[in-house]
Amino acid sequence: MSTGTATAAGPDERLARVGLLKRLLLKPELGASIGAVLVFVFFAALSDVFRSASGVANWLDPASTLGIMAVAVALLMIGGHFDLSAGVQTGTAAITSGLLTTYYGVNTWAALLISLALVLAIGFVNGYLVVRTGLPSFIITLGTFLMLQGLNLGITKLVTNTVQVNNFNKIIGYDVLHAVFASEITIGGASFQIAILWWVVATILGSWLLLRTRFGNWIFATGGDPNAGRNVGVPVARTTISLFMITSFAAWFVGTTQIVRLTSIQAQAGFGQELIYIVAAVIGGCLLTGGFGSAIGASIGALIFGMTSQGIVYAGWDADWFKFFLGAMLLLAVLANQYIRRFAELSRR
Amino acid sequence: MTGAEQGGGDMTADNDHEVVLRLTDLVKTFPGVRALDGVQLEVRAGEVHCLLGQNGAGKSTLIKVLSGVHRPDSGTVEWLGQPVSFSNPQAAMKAGIATIYQELDLVDDLSVAENVFLGHEPRRLGFVRRGAMAERTRGILGSLGHEEIPARRMVHALQAAGKQVVSMARALSQEARLLIMDEPSAVLAHDEVENLFRIIRRLTARGIAVIYISHRLEEIREIGDRVTVLKDGRTTAANLSAAQTPTSELVSRMTGRTIEYVFPPRPDEPPAREELLRVRDLSRAGEFRDVSLSVAAGEIVGIAGLVGSGRSELLETIYGARRPDTGTVELAGKALRPGSVGSAVRAGMGMAPEERKSQALLLGEPIYRNMTLATFTGLARLGFTNARRERAESDRIAGSLDLRPLDVRRPVGTLSGGNQQKVVVGRWLLGDTRLLLLDEPTRGVDVGARAELYRVIRRLAAEGVGVLLVSSEVPEVLGLSDRVLVMREGRVVHQAPSTELDEDTVLDLVMAGSLMEGAPA
Repeated sequence: MSTGTATAAGPDERLARVGLLKRLLLKPELGASIGAVLVFVFFAALSDVFRSASGVANWLDPASTLGIMAVAVALLMIGGHFDLSAGVQTGTAAITSGLLTTYYGVNTWAALLISLALVLAIGFVNGYLVVRTGLPSFIITLGTFLMLQGLNLGITKLVTNTVQVNNFNKIIGYDVLHAVFASEITIGGASFQIAILWWVVATILGSWLLLRTRFGNWIFATGGDPNAGRNVGVPVARTTISLFMITSFAAWFVGTTQIVRLTSIQAQAGFGQELIYIVAAVIGGCLLTGGFGSAIGASIGALIFGMTSQGIVYAGWDADWFKFFLGAMLLLAVLANQYIRRFAELSRR
Repeated sequence: MTGAEQGGGDMTADNDHEVVLRLTDLVKTFPGVRALDGVQLEVRAGEVHCLLGQNGAGKSTLIKVLSGVHRPDSGTVEWLGQPVSFSNPQAAMKAGIATIYQELDLVDDLSVAENVFLGHEPRRLGFVRRGAMAERTRGILGSLGHEEIPARRMVHALQAAGKQVVSMARALSQEARLLIMDEPSAVLAHDEVENLFRIIRRLTARGIAVIYISHRLEEIREIGDRVTVLKDGRTTAANLSAAQTPTSELVSRMTGRTIEYVFPPRPDEPPAREELLRVRDLSRAGEFRDVSLSVAAGEIVGIAGLVGSGRSELLETIYGARRPDTGTVELAGKALRPGSVGSAVRAGMGMAPEERKSQALLLGEPIYRNMTLATFTGLARLGFTNARRERAESDRIAGSLDLRPLDVRRPVGTLSGGNQQKVVVGRWLLGDTRLLLLDEPTRGVDVGARAELYRVIRRLAAEGVGVLLVSSEVPEVLGLSDRVLVMREGRVVHQAPSTELDEDTVLDLVMAGSLMEGAPA
């Protein structure tokens, strides 16, 4: 009862102090980072080629185009939505550019702009329908996914009488396109696809958007608690539509990369990829419920995908088993992420 | 001022403060309901104006009109001397009216500073100025007396009280001149309410007006300056003195009849009551330890304790929703399978959880479906449900509970809080429930509906049902229970017949731990 005790108040119990370890555990990309290291060590131990420069170039390649998409899809997922049409949109973009230039003689740059405008419009429609109807984006984009899949195939066949668009390398300005989308950079005797560079740029851009801009805060608010967001003036509808359009832009970029690189595009291009994007984002720590995740995590998820898909080949295994490993990894990653998050949240009390 | 009376009280002291908000004859109708039917309200700068009324009196609608969610059909809203009409929440916020809802509108995975400035982030060249944002957040938190909350901490790392402070900081970041607080104390433990009041006093000292909504009269007396009472969407009394108006008058303005905040009388104790529930040495790490208790048939046992004392966790463990580390639960001499709700329900246990909206009700489903949920199997024939029989059974219960509106086909989500709670309790009346567990049965329930709930609970006991109830309101535990257990930090620290206890004693026991903490004995 002395006067000295009055100031001797303990720490405020309303605030749990969060240590460095726990803060680290709460980073969405932690699980994926550990997974990436493990996968690398595993395959590097099995195969010399896997850890050589050309090996690295080889598995970074599939990771790169996937990674660009995964970053966009991760932003969308943090915003609380899915885009099942993201995969076929890459096909739509490439087929549109290809048909316009090779069959209709449209100026290359105009054709690219038209295909960009087209997929952005698709993204807008996806977002607009989701916002206006309040239906799950899963259903809305399942619809656009199927429609686009049919359109891609139907129109390609109608115009070309085949199931692919060829001769993209004969168009005017292909050199420039090749330099931007498909050139290779030689490092240590191995040639690396320029897409890897764009992947890094996309990751940095995505992280910057998410963590350093107010649009990023809006994404978290839109996915985490849209009502709270709306009440404090976050333009939830605009944010949602923008996220779908960002995904569409990424699809256009990746689709263009494909057609420039291959000089042709299959009518079925991109089909089935939409789930792989989501897999990468989820391995990277995105919650299916929105409001939590990271762009870097999605990139690392893509990296794991690339390493596994090529690592299996280098290890001399039958590549047919790849999907099995991918599925197992997805489950493991989700369980690990959930466990880590719960542990970190519980120990916070 | 028609229909509303000018109260006496210490009005003269407030007269030098300008009127910031004046509502005249505000009307708002929804299909089938006249939610606001002529509301008058006058709020002055720097006062705490309390809004009192039963659930369904129109308080929520009024808040939503003021915060720009709804637009009134007729009547005027005068804000700072100008007639205004807010088309959306942002417009109201820009004008200086901030609302802190019961469900705090915060985004868990953003930091404190990001939440405070969400929607109006300071920017430069596309970048959020994080430094400036954190700095200003620190300044605002400091002005609220809470500089200890780190501006960059993720909001989900804060407890409810901390989150509430962040909500208030957000209001201040937008230079709010009127703060509407909807039952702010509902999420707080007893000692945290004092802190809330300290913050409110700081705000009013700066000339900010506060509209304070609460069901707890003692809070209104402590923090309020003036009181406006709503009933059926109408102002029945305006500008009463919060400190001096007698409780009976406030209650009669709310109800239209003079009812006391009364508990049904306890029956004379029967000579021997059969023991119903027996809990032995129940423990769960970090939640509660070595809890033993018993409830007899027809007995009401109340557990008093603060939020975080382990009382809700204990109840959920007895019910089987959590699995105990050690200890046993027996109902009528039969041991229950630990961690199995099914086993508990089959043995005759029923539970009305604290979060009735998220844990106990299907808000979109009709009342009868919600009532029959627990006894589905009993009402189903060959795997088919019989909607007619469900409705008939529910009708009977609804009538005996005085449910309003008395139409069991309505979705539960359209009922007021008190009536929703009746549905949750009523559900167990349908089956052969022998022991009812009630977690904060009157949370968010108005005075009138409370008295009805108390009567229902007492009647159940008279029929031989054992009741184990948890409440953070000491008068409720004392008034309703036959026997009281006091829990603190996961342990039962005292138990006695409620007639041998008084409010001060229990409050002392309940809070002793938290008050002493950090100070040497």
